[in-house]
Amino acid sequence: MSATRRHFLVAGALGGAALVLRIPLFGEGGKASGTGRFAPNQWLRVDADGRVTAVIARSEMGQGVRTSLAMILAEELDADWKTVAIEQASPGPDYAHMSTGGSGSVEGAWKTLRQAGAAAREMLVEAAARQWGVPASACRTEAGQVLHPASGRTLGYGALAGAASALPVPVQPRLKEAKDYRLVGTPVRRVDGPAIVTGRAAYGIDTRVPGMLFAAVAVCPVRGGKVVRFDAAKAKQVAGVRDVVEFEGGVAVLAEDTHAAFAGRDALGAVFDGGANASIDSAQLWSRLDAAAGRPGRPTRTSGDAGVLAKAATRLSATYRAPFQAHATLEPGNCTARVDAGACEIWAPTQSPERVQREAAKLLGIAPEKVTVHVTLLGGGFGRRLDADYAVEAVAVARAAKRPVQVVWSRRDDFLRDRVHPAARVDVAAGLDASGRVVAWEHHATTFHLSMFGAFNPKEDPEGNPWGGYDLPYDIPNLAVSWSEIESPVHTGAWRAVYYPANVFARECFLDELAAKADQDPLAVRLALLGGASPFVLGNQRLDRAGLARVLRLAAEKAGWGSEAPRRPGRRSGRGLACNVYEGSTLIAQVADVSVGAKGDVAVHRIVTAVDCGLAVNPLGVEGQIESGVIWALSYALKGELTYAKGSVVETGFGEYPLLRIDEMPQLETHIVPGHGAPTGMGEMPVPCVTPAVVNGLFAATGKRLRRLPIRPADLV
Amino acid sequence: MATFTITVNGETHSVASGDPDVPLLWILRDRLGLTGTKYGCGVGACGACTVHVDGEALRSCQVPVSAAVGRRVVTIEGLSSDGRHPCQLAWLEQDVAQCGYCQPGMIMEAAAVLAKKKAAPASDFEAALSGHICRCGTYGRMREAVKAVAASGVKR
Repeated sequence: MSATRRHFLVAGALGGAALVLRIPLFGEGGKASGTGRFAPNQWLRVDADGRVTAVIARSEMGQGVRTSLAMILAEELDADWKTVAIEQASPGPDYAHMSTGGSGSVEGAWKTLRQAGAAAREMLVEAAARQWGVPASACRTEAGQVLHPASGRTLGYGALAGAASALPVPVQPRLKEAKDYRLVGTPVRRVDGPAIVTGRAAYGIDTRVPGMLFAAVAVCPVRGGKVVRFDAAKAKQVAGVRDVVEFEGGVAVLAEDTHAAFAGRDALGAVFDGGANASIDSAQLWSRLDAAAGRPGRPTRTSGDAGVLAKAATRLSATYRAPFQAHATLEPGNCTARVDAGACEIWAPTQSPERVQREAAKLLGIAPEKVTVHVTLLGGGFGRRLDADYAVEAVAVARAAKRPVQVVWSRRDDFLRDRVHPAARVDVAAGLDASGRVVAWEHHATTFHLSMFGAFNPKEDPEGNPWGGYDLPYDIPNLAVSWSEIESPVHTGAWRAVYYPANVFARECFLDELAAKADQDPLAVRLALLGGASPFVLGNQRLDRAGLARVLRLAAEKAGWGSEAPRRPGRRSGRGLACNVYEGSTLIAQVADVSVGAKGDVAVHRIVTAVDCGLAVNPLGVEGQIESGVIWALSYALKGELTYAKGSVVETGFGEYPLLRIDEMPQLETHIVPGHGAPTGMGEMPVPCVTPAVVNGLFAATGKRLRRLPIRPADLV
Repeated sequence: MATFTITVNGETHSVASGDPDVPLLWILRDRLGLTGTKYGCGVGACGACTVHVDGEALRSCQVPVSAAVGRRVVTIEGLSSDGRHPCQLAWLEQDVAQCGYCQPGMIMEAAAVLAKKKAAPASDFEAALSGHICRCGTYGRMREAVKAVAASGVKR
């Protein structure tokens, strides 16, 4: 092995939006052998028959990451896209930091995967050049072949794989210029599509291991609670039930099929002790938020003179509220595990394979490398599967059962045991000068800690937490942004766009309130406030105000801003807009056309999105994420709300927690600004602005200002 | 313990079960290994488990195995021999799926509409699909896909 083979490129610039990644570019790679297989690094292989395998160290949960990352590799490799197969990586020395979250996969892997592909391509070219006795510079590559145009000779990558394997890996391969891209920047369909439409795509719940039983569990749904008694004999009377075992945290019923496991679990008649949180309900949760909101928060961004607000010609303040939300991934919580002889094998639909590995190892008291984690496809993630709770549970059940098990949560279990999006309250206040310009702004966010990420630490410094308040993009001279986070008595976690939705809802709606107060156009108000220094550097973020203004103008123009929203018989119509910079990267603006019926019933007719996400690696994927994010946000704005009683969630099914369906789907239009430079994230970015655009549209339609979610018809009558 | 003889994708299976009410869903998934049919809610609210029973799109979580005896069950695995059913092709063409978990149910629903009514308009497909949930929100592309399917139905 050459020294370069072991060279670890520690690339600080690889940081994803929320994650700082330090990925070794050239790890041990695939097992190079004498079989003519070329595996210059851990990210790709070329087999003797020319097939290319792209190894993907991110979890596929619908965002298309297996496609977009493979495209980046294939682009620099100049592979024939039709021959590229995908292999899912498992945690190990070559694949550090596999967590999939923060919309950071493409941005984070962009440089590494380009270099990995380019290094391989240079080696293949060198191998061909040596074989032909020509300079490498006289050769070029295309669709899995090296060509020597002067002589018309070609060699496929497969035929070169053996010779290329013997060459040193270049440390700094030459990367393509954007103008030479053939694949990146073109619309490419999902690599998993054919498997999905034929039912062959394997999610966690589809794992089948020889000798495994299906398991359902009785676990106290209250945070900190426990099982106090259960009737194993009753469960064992259920047809198909094979055993009942206790494990850390609860009781499991093992059965021949999932139905019997569920029925056996129900027959246990488990009684829980909720402990300290047993009496928590929605009223208490909100009163805790309200109490915290009444105390000063921790300042996250302050500029200018806080006293200006009190002296402003016009002062306004408002409180916005957003409720608890469920992830409701369509694939419910599940995991399959086998524990034997000091080792463990796990098949998990996880966004955090290393966390699963680490926590399973800890439970079992073995080294992490003794735990093999197979990452399956995820039937939705949205942040829920960043936690390892359900996977560790399966490991505990498998250990107790002394055989492989698949633990499956019922839909009700999945709601009860979600790591929910916490409710938030945002208090905003602003001062306008005599001309109506915003001269002072206060933004105080109050919410619950995300228990998914560990114990609450009230001393943790929130400075730099973006979430729409701190990273307010507008040029307002006097700013006071603060953050209050309190301990959560219910399980909470990351949810698509994390804390952005409530804060951007408050910020963009309140700006609309100010515009109305000053009798100004909401678009003009925003554009005026985006006229300051650009980019505005804020900590490690760059707020591209000029770029945001461009995106906002584009969305407004495409949506017909300035013209009247289409009239609909018997309904009041309106149009609203909102914009945001997401974690200093993706710029987005959205315009909503809405209408309201006599009974306050809301219809969203059209959402126009304009986005600048740098280079759109796969425009089809970018559009898909926007479509998905808009629908997600509409469920948030119009439907979803979790409430609590006796320490746990009240809504435990799709009847009580409705989600948007196809008949409520608005017309969607997406405009991607032709990007340059590195790509930025897309998974979460389309979510935050939809709600304020809709709510601002409802104000335009009715003159009624909604400050709490979800939108209720009664508030619009 | 009773034995239930059911025909799935043209093959006959004898399944022993102590519970005549065990939903067809779990027989398909856990006994026959046909995991393309998905569990989403167990109460018929999401549509992920939709299969064809004698040509009718039904929620397999709501069909007791005893009720499937003597009827023709088709799952996503048996919808076509080559993955080229008009719905499958339209779904691929429009790149509908995101996480994909709900899609077999959606495709089975749309395929039943197409099979029952040769020239069904797109609105028929949309009405049938409105009983389903896609948490990824792929409805826009699904609309385009069923438009194409509806057009192909007219041509047949």
